[in-house]
Amino acid sequence: MSTQFHQPETIPEALELLTQHGSDAKVIAGGTAVVLMIQQKLIAPPVLVSLAHIPELERIQTVGGEIRLGALARIRDVAQSSLIRDRLPMLAQACGEVGNIRVRNQATIGGNMAEADYASDPPAALLALDASVTVAGPDGTRSVPLSEFFLGFYTTALDEAEIITEIVIPTPPDGARMTYHKFKSRSSEDRPCVGVAALAVMDGETCSELRIAIGAASEVPVRLPTAEAMARGRVLDDSLIGEIADHAATKIDPLDDLRGSAWYRTQMIRVHVQRALLELRNEFSTL
Amino acid sequence: MTENKTLTLTINGETHAVQMTGVRTLLSVLRDDLGLVGAREGCGIGMCGACTVLVDGRAISSCLMFAQQAEGSQITTIEGLPEGDHLHPIQQAYLDHAAFQCSYCTPGFILSTVALLQEHPDANADAAREYLAGNLCRCGSYGNILQAVLASKTVKS
Ligand SMILES: Cc1cc2nc3c(=O)[nH]c(=O)nc-3n(C[C@H](O)[C@H](O)[C@H](O)COP(=O)(O)OP(=O)(O)OC[C@H]3O[C@@H](n4cnc5c(N)ncnc54)[C@H](O)[C@@H]3O)c2cc1C
Ligand code: FES
Ligand code: FES
Repeated sequence: MSTQFHQPETIPEALELLTQHGSDAKVIAGGTAVVLMIQQKLIAPPVLVSLAHIPELERIQTVGGEIRLGALARIRDVAQSSLIRDRLPMLAQACGEVGNIRVRNQATIGGNMAEADYASDPPAALLALDASVTVAGPDGTRSVPLSEFFLGFYTTALDEAEIITEIVIPTPPDGARMTYHKFKSRSSEDRPCVGVAALAVMDGETCSELRIAIGAASEVPVRLPTAEAMARGRVLDDSLIGEIADHAATKIDPLDDLRGSAWYRTQMIRVHVQRALLELRNEFSTL
Repeated sequence: MTENKTLTLTINGETHAVQMTGVRTLLSVLRDDLGLVGAREGCGIGMCGACTVLVDGRAISSCLMFAQQAEGSQITTIEGLPEGDHLHPIQQAYLDHAAFQCSYCTPGFILSTVALLQEHPDANADAAREYLAGNLCRCGSYGNILQAVLASKTVKS
Protein backbone atom coordinates (compact mmCIF):
# COMPACT_ATOMS: atom_id res chain seq x y z
CA MET A 1 0.00 0.00 0.00
CA SER A 2 1.24 3.42 -0.88
CA THR A 3 0.94 6.08 1.78
CA GLN A 4 0.81 9.71 0.69
CA PHE A 5 3.03 12.01 2.73
CA HIS A 6 1.89 15.63 3.06
CA GLN A 7 3.95 18.43 4.57
CA PRO A 8 1.71 21.47 5.08
CA GLU A 9 3.37 24.71 6.17
CA THR A 10 0.51 26.32 8.07
CA ILE A 11 -2.04 25.14 10.62
CA PRO A 12 -5.06 25.89 8.36
CA GLU A 13 -3.46 23.86 5.56
CA ALA A 14 -2.92 20.94 7.93
CA LEU A 15 -6.52 21.11 9.16
CA GLU A 16 -7.77 21.29 5.59
CA LEU A 17 -5.88 18.09 4.71
CA LEU A 18 -7.18 16.31 7.80
CA THR A 19 -10.77 17.33 7.06
CA GLN A 20 -10.45 16.37 3.41
CA HIS A 21 -9.07 12.90 4.11
CA GLY A 22 -11.11 12.14 7.24
CA SER A 23 -10.36 8.78 8.78
CA ASP A 24 -7.82 8.01 6.03
CA ALA A 25 -5.47 10.63 7.47
CA LYS A 26 -3.05 10.35 10.37
CA VAL A 27 -1.00 13.15 11.87
CA ILE A 28 2.75 12.58 12.16
CA ALA A 29 4.93 14.82 14.33
CA GLY A 30 8.31 13.35 15.39
CA GLY A 31 7.17 9.97 14.14
CA THR A 32 8.67 7.85 16.93
CA ALA A 33 5.31 6.21 17.57
CA VAL A 34 3.71 6.49 14.12
CA VAL A 35 6.70 5.04 12.22
CA LEU A 36 6.89 2.13 14.64
CA MET A 37 3.17 1.39 14.30
CA ILE A 38 3.34 1.48 10.50
CA GLN A 39 6.50 -0.63 10.41
CA GLN A 40 4.88 -3.19 12.69
CA LYS A 41 1.76 -3.13 10.49
CA LEU A 42 -0.46 -2.11 13.39
CA ILE A 43 -1.81 0.73 11.26
CA ALA A 44 -1.72 1.47 7.53
CA PRO A 45 -2.92 5.06 7.06
CA PRO A 46 -3.38 6.01 3.38
CA VAL A 47 -2.42 9.62 4.18
CA LEU A 48 0.14 11.06 6.58
CA VAL A 49 0.00 14.74 7.46
CA SER A 50 3.33 15.89 8.87
CA LEU A 51 3.34 18.91 11.19
CA ALA A 52 7.13 19.25 11.07
CA HIS A 53 7.14 22.12 8.59
CA ILE A 54 4.92 24.44 10.60
CA PRO A 55 7.56 26.53 12.37
CA GLU A 56 5.19 28.32 14.75
CA LEU A 57 4.41 25.00 16.43
CA GLU A 58 7.94 24.62 17.78
CA ARG A 59 8.16 27.60 20.11
CA ILE A 60 8.75 27.42 23.86
CA GLN A 61 7.82 30.78 25.34
CA THR A 62 6.17 32.74 28.13
CA VAL A 63 3.03 34.69 27.28
CA GLY A 64 1.53 36.73 30.12
CA GLY A 65 1.55 34.52 33.18
CA GLU A 66 1.73 31.32 31.15
CA ILE A 67 4.42 29.10 29.78
CA ARG A 68 3.53 27.74 26.37
CA LEU A 69 5.10 24.74 24.69
CA GLY A 70 4.48 24.40 20.99
CA ALA A 71 3.21 20.89 20.25
CA LEU A 72 6.17 20.25 17.95
CA ALA A 73 8.80 21.17 20.56
CA ARG A 74 11.19 18.23 20.79
CA ILE A 75 11.23 16.46 24.12
CA ARG A 76 14.97 17.12 24.36
CA ASP A 77 14.49 20.82 23.66
CA VAL A 78 11.95 21.00 26.48
CA ALA A 79 14.38 19.19 28.80
CA GLN A 80 17.21 21.55 27.90
CA SER A 81 15.30 24.83 27.69
CA SER A 82 16.66 27.25 30.29
CA LEU A 83 13.14 28.64 30.72
CA ILE A 84 11.76 25.19 31.58
CA ARG A 85 14.72 24.19 33.77
CA ASP A 86 14.37 27.40 35.68
CA ARG A 87 10.60 27.68 36.03
CA LEU A 88 9.32 24.11 35.67
CA PRO A 89 12.22 21.91 36.74
CA MET A 90 10.09 18.80 37.18
CA LEU A 91 9.01 18.99 33.55
CA ALA A 92 12.66 19.25 32.49
CA GLN A 93 13.37 16.20 34.66
CA ALA A 94 10.47 14.19 33.23
CA CYS A 95 11.42 15.06 29.63
CA GLY A 96 15.12 14.44 30.31
CA GLU A 97 14.31 10.87 31.33
CA VAL A 98 12.27 9.89 28.28
CA GLY A 99 13.74 6.82 26.57
CA ASN A 100 17.14 7.51 25.09
CA ILE A 101 18.76 10.57 23.61
CA ARG A 102 17.74 9.70 20.02
CA VAL A 103 14.09 9.37 20.99
CA ARG A 104 14.27 12.70 22.84
CA ASN A 105 15.88 14.32 19.78
CA GLN A 106 13.03 13.21 17.53
CA ALA A 107 9.89 12.88 19.65
CA THR A 108 7.69 15.91 20.29
CA ILE A 109 5.85 16.92 23.45
CA GLY A 110 2.54 17.16 21.55
CA GLY A 111 3.08 13.69 20.09
CA ASN A 112 3.70 12.33 23.57
CA MET A 113 0.36 13.77 24.75
CA ALA A 114 -1.61 12.69 21.68
CA GLU A 115 -0.20 9.17 21.81
CA ALA A 116 -1.50 8.82 25.41
CA ASP A 117 0.59 5.76 26.15
CA TYR A 118 0.12 5.17 29.88
CA ALA A 119 3.83 4.33 30.31
CA SER A 120 4.94 7.92 29.71
CA ASP A 121 6.74 10.53 31.78
CA PRO A 122 5.73 14.07 30.73
CA PRO A 123 1.96 13.65 31.34
CA ALA A 124 2.24 13.23 35.14
CA ALA A 125 4.49 16.30 35.43
CA LEU A 126 2.15 18.37 33.25
CA LEU A 127 -0.89 17.19 35.22
CA ALA A 128 0.72 18.31 38.49
CA LEU A 129 1.45 21.66 36.82
CA ASP A 130 -2.27 22.16 35.97
CA ALA A 131 -1.47 22.24 32.25
CA SER A 132 -4.05 22.41 29.51
CA VAL A 133 -3.88 21.49 25.86
CA THR A 134 -4.82 23.89 23.07
CA VAL A 135 -6.53 22.08 20.24
CA ALA A 136 -7.24 23.44 16.76
CA GLY A 137 -9.90 21.92 14.55
CA PRO A 138 -12.20 22.77 11.66
CA ASP A 139 -14.52 24.64 14.05
CA GLY A 140 -11.80 26.75 15.67
CA THR A 141 -9.67 26.44 18.75
CA ARG A 142 -10.50 25.06 22.18
CA SER A 143 -8.64 24.53 25.41
CA VAL A 144 -8.84 21.19 27.22
CA PRO A 145 -7.53 20.84 30.79
CA LEU A 146 -5.10 17.92 30.93
CA SER A 147 -7.32 16.35 33.60
CA GLU A 148 -9.99 15.95 30.89
CA PHE A 149 -7.66 15.17 27.99
CA PHE A 150 -6.63 11.56 28.68
CA LEU A 151 -9.64 9.27 28.43
CA GLY A 152 -8.11 5.80 28.53
CA PHE A 153 -5.46 3.59 26.90
CA TYR A 154 -4.21 5.50 23.84
CA THR A 155 -7.42 7.53 23.89
CA THR A 156 -7.75 11.29 24.21
CA ALA A 157 -10.34 14.02 23.86
CA LEU A 158 -8.96 14.84 20.36
CA ASP A 159 -11.41 14.55 17.47
CA GLU A 160 -10.34 13.07 14.15
CA ALA A 161 -9.59 16.33 12.36
CA GLU A 162 -8.06 18.12 15.35
CA ILE A 163 -4.46 18.79 16.23
CA ILE A 164 -2.74 19.89 19.42
CA THR A 165 -1.08 23.24 18.82
CA GLU A 166 0.17 24.09 22.31
CA ILE A 167 0.48 22.93 25.86
CA VAL A 168 -0.21 25.79 28.25
CA ILE A 169 1.10 25.83 31.81
CA PRO A 170 0.14 28.51 34.34
CA THR A 171 3.18 29.91 36.15
CA PRO A 172 3.51 27.93 39.38
CA PRO A 173 3.01 29.78 42.69
CA ASP A 174 6.00 31.77 43.97
CA GLY A 175 8.45 29.63 45.85
CA ALA A 176 6.95 26.36 44.60
CA ARG A 177 9.29 23.38 44.85
CA MET A 178 8.77 20.49 42.52
CA THR A 179 10.22 17.15 41.56
CA TYR A 180 9.58 14.20 39.26
CA HIS A 181 10.56 10.69 40.27
CA LYS A 182 10.75 8.11 37.51
CA PHE A 183 10.88 4.57 38.80
CA LYS A 184 12.12 2.06 36.22
CA SER A 185 11.90 -1.64 36.95
CA ARG A 186 13.92 -3.05 34.04
CA SER A 187 16.65 -1.10 32.18
CA SER A 188 17.98 2.42 32.54
CA GLU A 189 16.25 3.63 29.35
CA ASP A 190 12.96 1.87 30.01
CA ARG A 191 9.60 3.55 30.13
CA PRO A 192 8.39 4.20 33.67
CA CYS A 193 6.85 1.55 35.92
CA VAL A 194 5.64 4.40 38.12
CA GLY A 195 6.13 8.16 37.78
CA VAL A 196 5.50 10.53 40.69
CA ALA A 197 5.22 14.28 40.12
CA ALA A 198 4.96 16.46 43.23
CA LEU A 199 4.80 20.18 43.83
CA ALA A 200 4.77 21.91 47.21
CA VAL A 201 4.51 25.49 48.34
CA MET A 202 6.02 25.91 51.80
CA ASP A 203 5.53 28.69 54.28
CA GLY A 204 8.41 27.96 56.61
CA GLU A 205 7.72 24.42 57.85
CA THR A 206 4.06 24.60 56.96
CA CYS A 207 2.83 23.36 53.63
CA SER A 208 0.35 25.75 52.06
CA GLU A 209 -0.20 23.76 48.87
CA LEU A 210 0.64 20.24 47.75
CA ARG A 211 0.01 18.61 44.39
CA ILE A 212 0.70 14.97 43.56
CA ALA A 213 0.20 13.23 40.21
CA ILE A 214 0.90 9.57 39.55
CA GLY A 215 1.72 8.42 36.04
CA ALA A 216 2.32 5.06 34.35
CA ALA A 217 0.54 3.13 37.12
CA SER A 218 -2.97 3.22 35.68
CA GLU A 219 -4.71 3.78 32.33
CA VAL A 220 -4.40 7.54 32.61
CA PRO A 221 -2.26 9.71 34.88
CA VAL A 222 -4.15 10.85 38.00
CA ARG A 223 -4.05 13.64 40.57
CA LEU A 224 -4.63 12.73 44.21
CA PRO A 225 -6.82 15.47 45.72
CA THR A 226 -7.40 13.73 49.05
CA ALA A 227 -3.69 13.12 49.57
CA GLU A 228 -3.00 16.72 48.58
CA ALA A 229 -5.54 18.02 51.11
CA MET A 230 -3.86 16.12 53.96
CA ALA A 231 -0.87 18.46 53.75
CA ARG A 232 -2.59 21.80 53.50
CA GLY A 233 -1.81 24.08 56.45
CA ARG A 234 0.20 21.41 58.25
CA VAL A 235 3.83 20.90 59.12
CA LEU A 236 5.29 18.46 56.61
CA ASP A 237 7.07 16.25 59.12
CA ASP A 238 8.19 12.66 58.59
CA SER A 239 5.07 11.14 60.06
CA LEU A 240 2.70 13.24 57.94
CA ILE A 241 4.75 12.40 54.84
CA GLY A 242 4.44 8.73 55.74
CA GLU A 243 0.66 9.06 56.14
CA ILE A 244 0.29 10.85 52.82
CA ALA A 245 2.37 8.20 51.06
CA ASP A 246 0.31 5.37 52.61
CA HIS A 247 -2.89 7.11 51.61
CA ALA A 248 -1.65 7.81 48.05
CA ALA A 249 -0.89 4.12 47.57
CA THR A 250 -4.50 3.20 48.38
CA LYS A 251 -5.91 5.70 45.90
CA ILE A 252 -4.62 4.07 42.70
CA ASP A 253 -5.99 0.89 41.21
CA PRO A 254 -2.75 -0.12 39.53
CA LEU A 255 -2.11 -2.02 36.33
CA ASP A 256 -0.46 -5.40 36.13
CA ASP A 257 2.07 -5.60 33.29
CA LEU A 258 5.64 -6.61 32.44
CA ARG A 259 7.01 -3.61 34.33
CA GLY A 260 5.38 -4.64 37.59
CA SER A 261 2.44 -6.42 39.18
CA ALA A 262 -0.39 -4.39 40.70
CA TRP A 263 0.88 -5.21 44.20
CA TYR A 264 4.41 -4.10 43.34
CA ARG A 265 3.20 -0.87 41.77
CA THR A 266 1.24 -0.05 44.93
CA GLN A 267 4.43 -0.44 46.97
CA MET A 268 6.42 1.67 44.52
CA ILE A 269 3.81 4.44 44.57
CA ARG A 270 4.08 4.57 48.36
CA VAL A 271 7.88 4.56 48.33
CA HIS A 272 8.25 7.18 45.61
CA VAL A 273 5.57 9.53 46.94
CA GLN A 274 7.41 9.41 50.26
CA ARG A 275 10.79 10.06 48.65
CA ALA A 276 9.44 12.88 46.51
CA LEU A 277 7.85 14.62 49.49
CA LEU A 278 10.96 14.21 51.64
CA GLU A 279 12.96 15.75 48.84
CA LEU A 280 10.62 18.73 48.57
CA ARG A 281 10.50 19.19 52.32
CA ASN A 282 14.28 19.05 52.58
CA GLU A 283 14.65 21.38 49.62
CA PHE A 284 17.11 19.19 47.79
CA SER A 285 18.11 20.47 44.45
CA THR A 286 15.48 19.46 41.95
CA LEU A 287 17.78 18.86 39.01
CA MET B 1 -2.73 3.73 -6.57
CA THR B 2 1.04 3.57 -6.70
CA GLU B 3 2.50 6.97 -7.02
CA ASN B 4 6.19 7.18 -7.78
CA LYS B 5 7.80 10.19 -6.17
CA THR B 6 11.30 11.58 -6.25
CA LEU B 7 12.75 12.28 -2.85
CA THR B 8 15.79 14.50 -2.53
CA LEU B 9 18.09 13.71 0.38
CA THR B 10 21.30 15.49 1.35
CA ILE B 11 23.67 12.91 2.75
CA ASN B 12 27.25 13.62 3.76
CA GLY B 13 27.05 16.87 1.80
CA GLU B 14 25.89 15.24 -1.44
CA THR B 15 22.44 15.38 -2.95
CA HIS B 16 20.75 12.08 -3.82
CA ALA B 17 17.52 11.61 -5.73
CA VAL B 18 15.58 8.52 -4.70
CA GLN B 19 12.52 7.11 -6.48
CA MET B 20 9.98 5.99 -3.93
CA THR B 21 6.47 4.78 -3.55
CA GLY B 22 4.78 5.17 -0.19
CA VAL B 23 6.74 5.68 3.00
CA ARG B 24 9.94 3.89 3.97
CA THR B 25 12.35 4.31 6.84
CA LEU B 26 15.48 6.37 6.36
CA LEU B 27 17.43 3.25 7.37
CA SER B 28 15.95 1.23 4.55
CA VAL B 29 16.59 3.97 1.97
CA LEU B 30 20.19 4.46 3.10
CA ARG B 31 20.96 0.75 2.94
CA ASP B 32 18.80 -0.61 0.15
CA ASP B 33 18.70 2.30 -2.31
CA LEU B 34 21.96 4.10 -1.66
CA GLY B 35 24.26 1.31 -0.51
CA LEU B 36 25.19 3.21 2.63
CA VAL B 37 25.26 0.13 4.83
CA GLY B 38 27.11 1.63 7.79
CA ALA B 39 23.77 2.24 9.51
CA ARG B 40 22.53 -1.16 10.62
CA GLU B 41 19.32 -2.62 11.85
CA GLY B 42 19.56 -4.11 15.30
CA CYS B 43 16.25 -3.86 17.11
CA GLY B 44 14.23 -1.86 14.57
CA ILE B 45 12.35 -0.18 17.44
CA GLY B 46 14.56 2.71 18.55
CA MET B 47 16.27 1.00 21.44
CA CYS B 48 19.73 -0.18 20.35
CA GLY B 49 21.32 2.64 18.35
CA ALA B 50 22.86 0.44 15.62
CA CYS B 51 20.98 2.56 13.06
CA THR B 52 22.10 5.93 14.47
CA VAL B 53 22.64 8.73 11.96
CA LEU B 54 22.85 12.49 12.46
CA VAL B 55 20.05 14.65 11.10
CA ASP B 56 21.04 18.32 11.27
CA GLY B 57 23.69 17.28 13.76
CA ARG B 58 21.30 15.44 16.08
CA ALA B 59 21.61 11.72 16.68
CA ILE B 60 18.41 9.88 15.79
CA SER B 61 17.39 6.28 15.09
CA SER B 62 17.03 5.94 11.33
CA CYS B 63 14.75 2.94 11.93
CA LEU B 64 12.21 5.30 13.58
CA MET B 65 12.19 8.01 10.92
CA PHE B 66 10.67 7.95 7.47
CA ALA B 67 13.02 9.15 4.72
CA GLN B 68 10.44 11.83 3.86
CA GLN B 69 10.93 13.37 7.30
CA ALA B 70 14.63 13.94 6.59
CA GLU B 71 14.09 15.75 3.29
CA GLY B 72 15.65 19.21 3.47
CA SER B 73 17.95 18.23 6.35
CA GLN B 74 21.67 17.48 6.45
CA ILE B 75 22.10 13.76 7.02
CA THR B 76 25.44 12.41 8.22
CA THR B 77 26.27 8.71 8.12
CA ILE B 78 29.46 6.92 9.12
CA GLU B 79 30.52 6.95 5.44
CA GLY B 80 30.72 10.74 5.63
CA LEU B 81 33.26 10.94 8.44
CA PRO B 82 36.64 10.10 6.83
CA GLU B 83 38.44 12.81 4.89
CA GLY B 84 39.86 11.10 1.81
CA ASP B 85 42.06 8.29 3.07
CA HIS B 86 42.13 9.60 6.61
CA LEU B 87 39.79 8.26 9.22
CA HIS B 88 37.99 10.78 11.36
CA PRO B 89 39.86 11.18 14.67
CA ILE B 90 36.99 9.55 16.54
CA GLN B 91 37.08 6.55 14.20
CA GLN B 92 40.84 6.35 14.74
CA ALA B 93 40.37 6.49 18.51
CA TYR B 94 37.90 3.57 18.37
CA LEU B 95 40.47 1.60 16.36
CA ASP B 96 43.33 2.52 18.67
CA HIS B 97 41.36 1.40 21.70
CA ALA B 98 39.95 -1.75 20.07
CA ALA B 99 36.55 -0.42 21.08
CA PHE B 100 34.61 -3.28 19.45
CA GLN B 101 34.56 -6.99 18.85
CA CYS B 102 32.06 -7.73 16.09
CA SER B 103 31.65 -3.96 15.38
CA TYR B 104 27.94 -4.17 14.58
CA CYS B 105 27.27 -1.33 17.01
CA THR B 106 30.33 0.74 16.10
CA PRO B 107 29.04 3.16 13.43
CA GLY B 108 26.18 4.10 15.74
CA PHE B 109 28.50 4.59 18.70
CA ILE B 110 30.91 6.71 16.64
CA LEU B 111 28.15 8.97 15.33
CA SER B 112 26.72 9.36 18.84
CA THR B 113 30.24 10.27 19.99
CA VAL B 114 30.47 12.88 17.24
CA ALA B 115 27.20 14.43 18.48
CA LEU B 116 28.30 14.20 22.12
CA LEU B 117 31.60 15.99 21.53
CA GLN B 118 29.93 18.53 19.28
CA GLU B 119 27.57 19.44 22.12
CA HIS B 120 29.92 18.87 25.06
CA PRO B 121 33.54 19.11 23.94
CA ASP B 122 34.66 18.64 27.55
CA ALA B 123 32.39 15.71 28.39
CA ASN B 124 33.71 13.64 31.28
CA ALA B 125 33.21 9.90 31.77
CA ASP B 126 29.87 10.33 33.54
CA ALA B 127 28.49 12.62 30.86
CA ALA B 128 29.70 10.23 28.14
CA ARG B 129 28.09 7.25 29.90
CA GLU B 130 24.79 9.08 30.18
CA TYR B 131 24.81 10.38 26.61
CA LEU B 132 25.69 7.00 25.13
CA ALA B 133 23.41 4.98 27.41
CA GLY B 134 20.97 4.38 24.55
CA ASN B 135 23.59 2.75 22.33
CA LEU B 136 23.88 -0.95 23.09
CA CYS B 137 26.87 -3.20 22.44
CA ARG B 138 26.03 -6.87 22.56
CA CYS B 139 29.74 -7.75 22.73
CA GLY B 140 30.11 -5.69 25.88
CA SER B 141 32.95 -3.49 24.67
CA TYR B 142 31.77 -0.63 26.88
CA GLY B 143 35.02 -0.18 28.79
CA ASN B 144 37.08 0.29 25.65
CA ILE B 145 34.38 2.42 24.02
CA LEU B 146 34.49 4.81 26.97
CA GLN B 147 38.27 5.03 26.70
CA ALA B 148 38.01 5.76 22.99
CA VAL B 149 35.46 8.50 23.65
CA LEU B 150 37.61 10.14 26.30
CA ALA B 151 40.69 9.86 24.07
CA SER B 152 38.73 11.43 21.17
CA LYS B 153 38.24 14.55 23.23
CA THR B 154 41.90 15.42 23.10
CA VAL B 155 42.45 14.63 19.43
CA LYS B 156 39.16 15.95 18.09
CA SER B 157 39.62 17.81 14.85
C1 LIG C 1 12.59 3.45 22.24
C2 LIG C 1 11.53 4.34 22.83
C3 LIG C 1 11.56 4.62 24.20
C4 LIG C 1 10.61 5.47 24.76
N1 LIG C 1 10.66 5.74 26.10
C5 LIG C 1 9.77 6.60 26.66
C6 LIG C 1 9.85 6.97 28.03
O1 LIG C 1 10.72 6.52 28.77
N2 LIG C 1 8.93 7.85 28.52
C7 LIG C 1 7.98 8.41 27.72
O2 LIG C 1 7.21 9.24 28.19
N3 LIG C 1 7.87 8.08 26.42
C8 LIG C 1 8.74 7.18 25.87
N4 LIG C 1 8.64 6.86 24.54
C9 LIG C 1 7.50 7.37 23.77
C10 LIG C 1 7.80 8.66 23.08
O3 LIG C 1 7.94 9.69 24.04
C11 LIG C 1 6.63 8.95 22.13
O4 LIG C 1 6.66 8.00 21.11
C12 LIG C 1 6.74 10.31 21.52
O5 LIG C 1 6.68 11.33 22.49
C13 LIG C 1 5.67 10.56 20.51
O6 LIG C 1 5.94 11.82 19.92
P1 LIG C 1 6.19 11.94 18.34
O7 LIG C 1 6.34 13.37 18.05
O8 LIG C 1 7.31 11.05 17.93
O9 LIG C 1 4.80 11.41 17.85
P2 LIG C 1 4.32 10.72 16.51
O10 LIG C 1 4.82 9.34 16.43
O11 LIG C 1 4.55 11.61 15.37
O12 LIG C 1 2.76 10.70 16.85
C14 LIG C 1 2.23 9.98 17.95
C15 LIG C 1 0.70 10.04 17.93
O13 LIG C 1 0.25 11.35 18.21
C16 LIG C 1 -0.45 11.91 17.10
N5 LIG C 1 0.02 13.29 17.06
C17 LIG C 1 1.32 13.71 17.09
N6 LIG C 1 1.38 15.05 17.18
C18 LIG C 1 0.10 15.49 17.22
C19 LIG C 1 -0.49 16.80 17.32
N7 LIG C 1 0.26 17.90 17.44
N8 LIG C 1 -1.83 16.87 17.31
C20 LIG C 1 -2.60 15.76 17.22
N9 LIG C 1 -2.10 14.51 17.14
C21 LIG C 1 -0.76 14.37 17.14
C22 LIG C 1 -0.12 11.04 15.93
O14 LIG C 1 -1.17 11.01 14.99
C23 LIG C 1 0.07 9.69 16.60
O15 LIG C 1 -1.17 9.11 16.87
C24 LIG C 1 9.59 6.02 23.94
C25 LIG C 1 9.56 5.73 22.57
C26 LIG C 1 10.51 4.91 22.01
C27 LIG C 1 10.47 4.62 20.55
S1 FES D 1 17.79 -0.55 14.83
FE1 FES D 1 17.22 1.48 15.17
S2 FES D 1 17.58 1.71 17.27
FE2 FES D 1 17.91 -0.42 17.01
S1 FES E 1 31.15 -4.76 19.16
FE1 FES E 1 29.67 -6.28 18.84
S2 FES E 1 27.86 -5.25 19.32
FE2 FES E 1 29.34 -3.85 19.92
